[in-house]
Amino acid sequence: MVYQAELLNDLQNKAKTIRRESIRMIKAAGLGWVGGSFSQADIVTALVFHHMKHNPKDPKWADRDRLIVSKAHCCETVYAALGEAGYFSKAEFDKYGKLGAILQAHTERTAPGVEYSGGSLGQGLSFALGEALSARIGAPKDVNGRPIPRFRVFCILGDGECNEGQVWEAVMAAAHYKVDNLVAIVDHNKYQSGGKVVDRIDWTPVAPKFAAFNWDTVEVDGHDFNQILSVLERADKTPGKPHAIIANTIKCKGVPSLENKNVHFCAITDEIYQDAMKALA
Amino acid sequence: MKQSYVRDPLGEAKPMYNAYNEAMADLFKKNDKIVLLYGDFPRGAAGEMATKEYPDRVYDVGIAEANLITVAAGLAAGGKIPFTHCHGIFAVGRAYNQIRQNVAFDKFNVKMMLLNTGMLWAFMGGSHQTIEEITALRVIPNLVLFSPADPVETKKIAQAALDHVGPVAIRVANPAVPTIYQDNFPFEVGKAVTVTEGKDATIIATGISVADALKAHDLLAKEKINVRLLDMHTLKPLDEAAIIKAAKDTGAIVTVEDTSILGGLGGAVAEVIAENYLAPVKRVGIKDRFGQSGTIDELKEVYEISASHIAAAVKAVIKRKKK
Repeated sequence: MVYQAELLNDLQNKAKTIRRESIRMIKAAGLGWVGGSFSQADIVTALVFHHMKHNPKDPKWADRDRLIVSKAHCCETVYAALGEAGYFSKAEFDKYGKLGAILQAHTERTAPGVEYSGGSLGQGLSFALGEALSARIGAPKDVNGRPIPRFRVFCILGDGECNEGQVWEAVMAAAHYKVDNLVAIVDHNKYQSGGKVVDRIDWTPVAPKFAAFNWDTVEVDGHDFNQILSVLERADKTPGKPHAIIANTIKCKGVPSLENKNVHFCAITDEIYQDAMKALA
Repeated sequence: MKQSYVRDPLGEAKPMYNAYNEAMADLFKKNDKIVLLYGDFPRGAAGEMATKEYPDRVYDVGIAEANLITVAAGLAAGGKIPFTHCHGIFAVGRAYNQIRQNVAFDKFNVKMMLLNTGMLWAFMGGSHQTIEEITALRVIPNLVLFSPADPVETKKIAQAALDHVGPVAIRVANPAVPTIYQDNFPFEVGKAVTVTEGKDATIIATGISVADALKAHDLLAKEKINVRLLDMHTLKPLDEAAIIKAAKDTGAIVTVEDTSILGGLGGAVAEVIAENYLAPVKRVGIKDRFGQSGTIDELKEVYEISASHIAAAVKAVIKRKKK
C-alpha cells in the first residue's frame, strides 16, 4: 500500500512536533527518557494522529481504540501527542514530573488520554489483553460466529521489557483466545537501560518468538510511515490471531548526535537542546 | 453468651468455596458485567454453569497468576467486573506487584478470590500454606480485604464484594467449616460481628479461626470465664471502634488467625490498641514459621491455634489485666 504524500508529510511533521515538545518537556523537568520516547515517536504519531479511532473531546468514549504504552517510562512523546491531539492543555507540558502534575514521571491514568498506569515493566500487554477481551464480550457476531470487537487495543512494548516473563504469559493467552483486536508493537531499538539488548540477555531475533506463539507477526522499519500504516491496516484485515509488529527503530531517533547511543534517561543540556531543535526544525 | 443469630448447635459443615459458588451462580446471572477468570483453577458450580451458558464471560489463563490479575485489571478498565480465582499463595506471592500496581493503584473494580489460604490447607505442605497474605495485603492502599468465617458469611461477602466499587480481595480457607450464622445475621462491611458477649476478655478472630474461637468460648464458659467473641470478617478497613470498645469493656484481648501473627490480624489489633487504649494483647496464630503437611487437627496442635490454645491464651491475658 502506498499512501498519499500529503498524509505522510503531515505525519512526519507531527512526529517532529512531538519530538520538539518532548525535548522542551524534558528540559523543563530536568530529566527524561529521551531515547525510548524518540524511538517510538513515529509509531505513536501514526496511531494517535491517523490509525486509531478516538475522540480527544470524549476521552471516556466506551468504544474508543485504546493505546497502552507498556514501556511507560517513555512518556514524553505520548504526552506530547495527547496534548497536541487536544486531550489536555499544552500548559501541562512544563509541569511534567512536578508535584501535583497530571503528567507523572511514568504514564498514569491521571492524564486524559492515558489508558494505563505503568512503570512496572512487563504488565501492559496483559492489561491490553484484558481490554481487548472486554471489547469482544457481548459483541455482535460475524457470519463465522466470531465476535466483531467494539474497539481495538494497541500496546507498545520495549524490547528489553520482553525480558519479563509476564509478557509471555499474555502472549500465550492472547493467542489461545485468538484475540485479533490486539496489536502489540515492539519498539525494537536494540537497547535497554543497562546496555544493548544482545549484551544483556540475547533473545534475538524477536519476530520468530512471537510467531512461534501463534501470533500474526511482521517486521517493519519503525520510522517509515508507509510501512507502519501498511502493517496496521494489514492487522485489521487478518482475523483469528493477535498481531505483533516488530518495529526496528533507533534509540533517540531524530537527534543525530544522540542516535543509537544508549541515551536512556538523561538531562537535556543547553548543547543537546540546541542541537535537537536544529535537527527537528 | 451467644447472640441470637448464632446457631446453637452449629449447622452443617461445608467448604466456603462451595458456598461462594452458590452465591456466584445467582450474582453472575443478575449482572452481565461479571466475568469469571481462573488461573488453571477448579471452576466450581457457578464457573461450570457459566462456561456452558455464557462462554464469552469465562476465561482461564493457565498457570499464570501475574497475567490473571492484570488481565482482570484490563477487563475492569473495559467496563467489566472480573472475579479472579487461583490459590491465594500464588496470587499474593507471584502477582503481588500486579495486585498493587495494576489493580489497587487505579482502584479498578476487580474482585480477587484468594483460595485455600492459611495453615489449614493441611495436606499440601509449606509451599502452599499461606502465612503472609493478611500482612502483605493490609498495606496496599485502596484494597478491601474480606475473610469469611462460615458458608453464610461467605455468601454475604460475595454480594458485598460486588456491591463495593473498587478492589476487593477475599481470603477463603480450604476445609469444610461449620455453619455458625443464621441466614439473617447482621452483616456490615467493616463492622465486626459480635458472636458472643462477655466481660472477662475479648477474642478477635477471623476466617476459619472463628469456629475454633467459639469452641474456646464454650471451654472457658465451663470455667465461668465469659468472653466476647468478635468475628473480624473485614480485615481492611478494620473495625477499629470495635477493637477499642473491646479493650475498654473487657480489658484484655486475644487475636486468632490461621496465618502469621506478624502484621496479620494480631499485628493490626496491636497497632490499634497501642495507639488508642492500652490493654494486654495475646496474638494466637502462626509464629513466624512455615507450614508442613499433616491433618487439620495435628496442625492446629503443632502451630498452637486449636481451641484449647485459644482458651489458654485467654487465661494468660486475663492475668495481665490492669487491676
